[in-house]
Amino acid sequence: MSRSEYYRQMRLLAGQIRDQYGLQTPRVLKSDLRRIYKDQGIHIDLWPYKLRKLRGAYFNDAEGASVMLARGLPDDPMIFTMGHELKHHLVDRDSIVALCDPSNQSAEIEIGAEIFAAEMIYPESMFRDDLLRLGVTMGSCTAEQLVALKRETKTTLSYAGIAKRAEFLGFAPQNSLAKVAWKKLEESIYGVPFYKQRLAARMHSF
Amino acid sequence: MSNETVRAYVGKRIKELRTAYGEDGISQEALAADLKVAANTISRWETGTYEPTLDDLERLSRFFGVSIVQFFPQVEEQDPKSKKVDALLRAAQSLHQDDLDELRRYAEYRRARSLQKGTKQRKRP
Repeated sequence: MSRSEYYRQMRLLAGQIRDQYGLQTPRVLKSDLRRIYKDQGIHIDLWPYKLRKLRGAYFNDAEGASVMLARGLPDDPMIFTMGHELKHHLVDRDSIVALCDPSNQSAEIEIGAEIFAAEMIYPESMFRDDLLRLGVTMGSCTAEQLVALKRETKTTLSYAGIAKRAEFLGFAPQNSLAKVAWKKLEESIYGVPFYKQRLAARMHSF
Repeated sequence: MSNETVRAYVGKRIKELRTAYGEDGISQEALAADLKVAANTISRWETGTYEPTLDDLERLSRFFGVSIVQFFPQVEEQDPKSKKVDALLRAAQSLHQDDLDELRRYAEYRRARSLQKGTKQRKRP
């Protein structure tokens, strides 16, 4: 099977999983993933010890299928990692161990997991429709428009994931979004979130 | 081996490791303070009154610098698939050594869970 065909299969599989578990929006939550993991018989271990680059790992051996997740990951990366490891369970479970760190990302099996996770959280077709609905044309997408997209759809796909896809689909020129400080940009447009204001006020009062 | 026997074994191992720690061993109170548990908890683990959780055992194993599986009675030949996991971890050269160490600890944690679960399941009629 060619690489492109393999990646196409991963997108199809992600669609099947969305259908099977009733995921209809681009806002997939940790509770959705926990429900899917439970149904698939995958044990989740939130690892409280310090990891340098590793975000998760999938194990499947005599002890059963389990996923180690770095505890303390923010919601979006945690959801993406859970999606990524789910692909290993569905597709690569015979390989026993899948170690998922950035240095490992060029391998086909890992790229496939990234594609699967992104598609499961926010399908490409839905993404394309949402951008067109916001009036974004090919090659003209700005960082501000992607912030608006994330805000409006409440998607749990990270800014990094959204930006990569916008570039891949040709909505934005290649590498044009690589160095955007997304959270800062979001706060400059919509203001500092309430929880951060409260935290800052509390710090100030000390 | 029954759950009670395993619990007693775990307690004995904790005591052995504690009394052999450093040059003079470490007191139950000092160990409890390091693990942030009540002072009498260590005593109850050692006597088998309380059963430490896997997370407790993981913290104990880190404190004593041993593998978590050392808290369980020696089991027969390791499952071939578990051996394969060890081999794969050894082969994962691209990972940072610290991450590799954590993965190995996680693999051992899973093994310990399986050992613990095994003793509990065997107890049922």
